[in-house]
Amino acid sequence: MNSQVALSLLEVLQMIGFVAFVTLWIEAYLYTHFHYSKKSWFFPAMLAAVPLGVLLLVVVAIGPALNARQAVNIFLYALLAESALAVFFRFKADKKLALPYMLIMPGFVGLALLIAYPLVFEVYLAFHDLKLTTLKTWSETGYLPFVNFEHFYNVFTKSPLSEVSFWQLLGRTLWWTVVNVFFHVLGGLGLALLLNNEIKLRGIYRTLLIIPWAMPQVVAVLAMKGEFHSEYGFVNIMIGRLVDAFPFLASMGMHKVQWLSQHPFLTCTIVNVWLGIPFMMVVILGGLQSIPKSYYEAASIDGASRWQKFRHITLPLLRPVLAPAVTLGTVWTFNNINVIYLVTGQSGGTEDADILVSALYKAAFSFNRFSYSAAFAIVIFLLLFAISMLWLKFSKGTESAYD
Amino acid sequence: MGKKIILQFCLALVAFSLAACLRPPGGKIDSNTLVVWEQEDGFIAPFLDSIFNNFKKLPGNEKVRIQRVHYHMEDLRQQFQTASIAGSPPDMIITPPDVAGVFAVSGFILPLNGLFDFSRYDEQALVPVTMDGKIWGVPSSMGNHLMLLYNKRLVKNIPQSTDELFKSCAELSRDKNLSYCMAYDMNEPFWLIPWLTAYGGWPLDGKKPALNTPAMLAAVKFYLNLRYERKLVPMECDYNCMDSLFKEEKVAFIINGDWSLADYKSRFGENLGVGRIPKLSETGRWPSPMFGGKDIMLSSKLRGEKLELAKRLTVFFTNDENQLRQARELYRIPAIKGMKNSPELRKDPLLRGSIEQQEVATPMPMATELRAFWDSGRHYLGMITQRKTTPEDGLKRMQADCEAKIQEMMR
Amino acid sequence: MTDPRCCRRKWGKLAVHAALVLACIVNIYPLLRIISISLRPGNRLISTDLALIPAEATFMSYVNVVKDTNFLIWLWNSLIITAGTSLIGVILASTAGYAFSRFKFPGNKLGLTLLLGTQMIPAGMLLLPLFLMVMKMGLINTYLGMVIAYSVSSLPFSIWILKGYYDTVPRSLEEAAMVDGTTRIGAFYRVVLPLSTPALAIAFLFNFTAAWNEYLVARVILSNSTKYTWPLGLFELQGQFITQWGMFAAGSVLITIPVLLVFLYSSKWLVSGLTLGSVKG
Repeated sequence: MNSQVALSLLEVLQMIGFVAFVTLWIEAYLYTHFHYSKKSWFFPAMLAAVPLGVLLLVVVAIGPALNARQAVNIFLYALLAESALAVFFRFKADKKLALPYMLIMPGFVGLALLIAYPLVFEVYLAFHDLKLTTLKTWSETGYLPFVNFEHFYNVFTKSPLSEVSFWQLLGRTLWWTVVNVFFHVLGGLGLALLLNNEIKLRGIYRTLLIIPWAMPQVVAVLAMKGEFHSEYGFVNIMIGRLVDAFPFLASMGMHKVQWLSQHPFLTCTIVNVWLGIPFMMVVILGGLQSIPKSYYEAASIDGASRWQKFRHITLPLLRPVLAPAVTLGTVWTFNNINVIYLVTGQSGGTEDADILVSALYKAAFSFNRFSYSAAFAIVIFLLLFAISMLWLKFSKGTESAYD
Repeated sequence: MGKKIILQFCLALVAFSLAACLRPPGGKIDSNTLVVWEQEDGFIAPFLDSIFNNFKKLPGNEKVRIQRVHYHMEDLRQQFQTASIAGSPPDMIITPPDVAGVFAVSGFILPLNGLFDFSRYDEQALVPVTMDGKIWGVPSSMGNHLMLLYNKRLVKNIPQSTDELFKSCAELSRDKNLSYCMAYDMNEPFWLIPWLTAYGGWPLDGKKPALNTPAMLAAVKFYLNLRYERKLVPMECDYNCMDSLFKEEKVAFIINGDWSLADYKSRFGENLGVGRIPKLSETGRWPSPMFGGKDIMLSSKLRGEKLELAKRLTVFFTNDENQLRQARELYRIPAIKGMKNSPELRKDPLLRGSIEQQEVATPMPMATELRAFWDSGRHYLGMITQRKTTPEDGLKRMQADCEAKIQEMMR
Repeated sequence: MTDPRCCRRKWGKLAVHAALVLACIVNIYPLLRIISISLRPGNRLISTDLALIPAEATFMSYVNVVKDTNFLIWLWNSLIITAGTSLIGVILASTAGYAFSRFKFPGNKLGLTLLLGTQMIPAGMLLLPLFLMVMKMGLINTYLGMVIAYSVSSLPFSIWILKGYYDTVPRSLEEAAMVDGTTRIGAFYRVVLPLSTPALAIAFLFNFTAAWNEYLVARVILSNSTKYTWPLGLFELQGQFITQWGMFAAGSVLITIPVLLVFLYSSKWLVSGLTLGSVKG
């Protein structure tokens, strides 16, 4: 056990060293290119140094597994790329832009690496036909039949599961997103406002209230799902006892409900709302805490009521923090597989709870329809992108509140 | 500012180079290491490890290393495909045979004709891994079949027919005040198979689905009868619910598979009874559940020395001694011809009950089409049992959907 | 209602307490049920008994999950990966968010939009190519691979939230500092960063919970059981049909505790703004 700990610490050291190394490499590159691009020695120095630098980076990353021919190839490609880039920097670079680019580049390089290749791969798959019967030829020869837009056509016309159509799924997904985000923000706002008062035990309340977020999602969802069981779940048992105690409720239509089989969508929504409120609460609380008390005091002196204070001070100043949270919350809710999959996953007859992504997941992995699911994923992505662009334009989310 | 950066740069370079030089020797995969993937439940792992350790102790195997990796069933299926596509699959996998179809068509596993002496193994055990004359896996146990399990504290004798079962249930609800008699996973089509066969049906007709048949209709109506008219089965009950109810002694009977024997034995001890699912009084037939078991499959990338090593391990894994051990410790029926008739195995009441059920069970065919049946079956069976559609309409749609899915898959 | 001063009337304060208590009960109840599953002998997920402390309650599951599995190793791995992710993620995001907030450079709006775009990719779709890529780069089974994957996935949210927060800090503050002779970066480090502790805390918490609880990507990258994070480890307890619910629940309770501790500790950072009042006014 001790040697394992030592080994893992060594690996941590390696990891830190590597990340620092790469970051500094990027920063050094940007710094020299922005600041020294007008100097006379710029071209020769860069053309010599950068390809060597790239080579060093690759050696450090891949290790001694590199052979001489590959090394020469890498050197030459880097030389080519650098000549183009050096020219670009010489004529276009503005010293003032150095700092912002240096600040964002490490993150974006990581993103590009991790997202770009998989995306390109998925696009490739979507236009070809990778499925169970073509898998063998593909892994042996690398050949895949090209099918134009056929998969995209299928996405819109055929059902991904048994009978539910793409349009039904889309409508349900939109409704799911709107309802969930609405209640998330409402609940989060309410709880944050309550917590913003200086009352005793505030820290304890805060910690207890974030438990749904802190718990592993799978476990939390399974526990909540159990509560909705028609015989042995807390909800129905309570309903049963209430109806026994107050018989008039039965005549009003209150009775035990088969939540999971008859109302799966409602059950999923309740579970997801419960799960998502703490996150909104924390974000809004952070925003509330940054609003200076002096504003409220000034407003009180002017005779403003509670509601006016809320509307004219709190809401506008919350917007810069709320806007990203709501935007991202919307995106995440739209693409939330976990809750629906875990609550309905294994039982049949519940296609009416599926949203786009959960149907996609169920369809993709059941039948090895890799290309079809790649096309489906791209469609969902473009849809979501279009919706978000509209929303952003509408809410001007990229500006700050003080502008 | 520039100087500071250069300084930090050099420091990081030194630090990383040092760390890189001390890079720990990662688990090197050489021709003496076998990577085995399995999807067994957690408490079976020690048994597997002990077999592997015994193999390593054999003379000539000093250099052999065996790396056992555990995956959840669905993960194993996906990861094996992904790893095969990427070119680095494991050497062997130990799984139920239903994945063999997909892997065979995609070319990820080796056809094993001629590599092993298959005359040693029970013919029925070979059916789930044989397709078009080629054998794709070596069976290591026969099982995964459903059987009737009952709580001896509540029920003295196992009912031999459904009429006796219903009589027993009526007595139970009267005397012991049990609200439900049997816990049953009505969601999974796998649990429908015994009753389907009791009515003379079978989900496949050759390689085509045969779901809109009178036998299916009768079986589905039998389900509805159990749930809504006789009220013997709880309304919403999936696997976990059924398992918990039986363990809490709120129901007397449960139909579950041989994988649950060890778990229930530890809970009930001597009070656990095992036997055949009762004969269907309507037709006089014994319900015949599907059985499979566990099979060892070899990756299609195995060659030369590694292939020989994998073969030796497979033969060792399924030799007589280990098969008997497996039967005693894990309650699994051996896959070797004739072994299940040995008196030693029949002495244990649990094994005996399991073997008796297996005698009337039908081996699962190795057909990729079956996968389509499980998925479309699950959906429409759910619709029918929740009364969201009539049985006739539901079956018609099930048939159409299953055919569509097969077409998608095999086009 | 948003006036941070105590509610004047006593029953107003009481009402606040009552509402919070109710909310807490609703939030905690499922966790309590999980605790009862972990205390219940015999691996029963569902019970007909509503009691929170079941009959024959026992701590055996807790003992077993620590003793019979590699629980501590999983915790250690998760801790390393999560700490690495949170630190790297917050550092990268704070600087990037600052750049997006304060500078007008070509690609500013585009970059933010792209960041948002990455969040829209449906989960699970990138798994196959991710595996192929990670294998080619030799990052299978490494901490580095995991940390890169996690910190990159939580970057977009962190950048967005920090940028939003920086937007609320008036530029006059940094300008004042720069007049005194500090550089831009210095002003960022000394003036803006301390004021944005709530946003940093939120970004940190988000990175932390995302990395701590993640399963799919870990499943793809880690196959050596000595490197498993706790989700991979605990889910080993889930069989195809049989799940050892007792140990699973006990393990789940045990791993919620570090997260709660992190929240408790970071909540003091969430409460800032005490200095803000004087500076902004």
